[in-house]
Amino acid sequence: MGRGSRHRHGVLTYPLLFLIAFLGLLPYYWMLSCSFKTNEQMFAVPIQWFPDPINWSAYGDAWRAQDFTRYILNSALVALAITVGNLLLASLAGYSLSKFRYFGRGVLFLLILSTMMLPLEVTMVPLFLIVKQLSWPNTYEGLIVPFLVEGFGVFLMRQYLLSIPNELIEAARIDGASELRIYWQIVMPLCKPALAALGVFTFREAWDMYIWPLIIVTKDSLRTLPLGISLFMSSFGTMWDQLMAVAAIGTLPMILLFFFLQRSFIQGIAITGLKE
Amino acid sequence: MSVLASTQPRPTRKRLRLDISAKQALFGYAILLPTLAIIVIFRFLPMLQAFYISLHEYDLIRPPRFIGLENFIDLLQDPLFLNSARVSILYVVFSCVPVWVLSLALAVLFNREIRAKNLFRSAAFMPVVMPAVVNAVVWTFMYHQDGVVNTILGWFSIDPIPWLRSSRWALWAIILIGIWRATPYYMVIFLAGLQAIPHEYYEAAQIDGASPWRQFRHITLPLLKPTTLLVMVMSVIVAMKVFAVPLIMTGGGPADSTRVLPLFIYQTAFEFFKMGRAAAMSVFLFAAVMVFTLLQIRLFSRGED
Repeated sequence: MGRGSRHRHGVLTYPLLFLIAFLGLLPYYWMLSCSFKTNEQMFAVPIQWFPDPINWSAYGDAWRAQDFTRYILNSALVALAITVGNLLLASLAGYSLSKFRYFGRGVLFLLILSTMMLPLEVTMVPLFLIVKQLSWPNTYEGLIVPFLVEGFGVFLMRQYLLSIPNELIEAARIDGASELRIYWQIVMPLCKPALAALGVFTFREAWDMYIWPLIIVTKDSLRTLPLGISLFMSSFGTMWDQLMAVAAIGTLPMILLFFFLQRSFIQGIAITGLKE
Repeated sequence: MSVLASTQPRPTRKRLRLDISAKQALFGYAILLPTLAIIVIFRFLPMLQAFYISLHEYDLIRPPRFIGLENFIDLLQDPLFLNSARVSILYVVFSCVPVWVLSLALAVLFNREIRAKNLFRSAAFMPVVMPAVVNAVVWTFMYHQDGVVNTILGWFSIDPIPWLRSSRWALWAIILIGIWRATPYYMVIFLAGLQAIPHEYYEAAQIDGASPWRQFRHITLPLLKPTTLLVMVMSVIVAMKVFAVPLIMTGGGPADSTRVLPLFIYQTAFEFFKMGRAAAMSVFLFAAVMVFTLLQIRLFSRGED
């Protein structure tokens, strides 16, 4: 790249970058600004780029119409439980598959791998029948247990642990540490970067989960936030201002997660690009 | 190892060692067990059961009745199913191809030296942060007749488009959202791939006087091939699963123009309670995912020789 081309790249690049940023942020801006409008202002022609006057009532109105606090708590509980479950079970399974020798290890690993590419959309009917058999529809168990571990997480942790030298574990064994203690005090801390990425990735997916709660939840008290939002939209002549307020609140946890754990958030996506 | 052990006359040591390794194997099994149980019960069995149910007629009330391949034969003659398959294929093709090009272009852009890179990259990344349902809700409003999308098009003297109300446009509206949301995701994966390419290659090419385009064509693209393969497979599988956005934005309409396969499976199973039929559809979806994955791996590994 000569000096001339460098200059040209600057001139072309920045307008493009601003365009990309504009496209990336527009729906956020629009959601937020509309949540501060009345329903009439939202449908004003021409559109109001900035709410005038600013109206705060949508937030309160939405909460009076539906128990969104409950939905948020349900979502938080389900997403946290699924995240903790995935971190624990995937790291245990990955540890087992990478550092222990036993009969059938390869076959068991293949069995877990074979479920990795399998979308929930393919198995939703039989999965529903199984969960129904367990009489888990409309329970937290039904929302959580089937997703406590995924093949992808196990694969990730196994690959990560393969790169950790056995000597560390052997040394602890010689010192007389129990197996569980080795896992908790040596293996887990070593896995921190992988666990952080997997954790943020899993939480994001769980917070987003829609099709499964839609299938097994019919009771209002068990609705998760995505379910609450979509039902609010389809019910009684949509109150768009309130809907935008709820949408904004529902996005907030993801934004916080992104800004405070940006590295792990992005890493969590980059790891889905891992190859065997 | 075993030869060595047999020549050493220390039976007690050896037994002790065996005990330890047996104990360790047991621990290995034990910590794998919870994962294995969940995967087998909630992933592996349902996969097998999908095939079993697809051979039955089952409405959740009466016991399942074996009907052989009837569900499959019916589906292949059902215009609604064929339409749904067509919509899914259109969605996959027209959302994925632009995503491959755009995400790679963005990754190349953000792999350069630019000022305030983090800020711009975060802004570009924001579509991934938005929850799927929120995404559907907000875009529904943005696609409104006098909404923000048509207003922006108006700046370029483009007439308002009846996005979600017309069977001609609704699928394109949903495809555009798919592109918006998927591009930054794969940008991150491409960026990771780009950063793994050693700088020396580019430096050598610059000394040889290779233009930026030639560098891209002869260094970046070939070295990114594994990443590209992965992005292609992943994006197609993710696109085949699209569900929340069409369900919330259009419910499959107008005139079935956005009824993608997963949505049709859901509606067949949980609105019309035809479990066998829905399972047969999932078998088709499963086959599509599998065939596609294998095909792409095949194509790419052939090019590698």
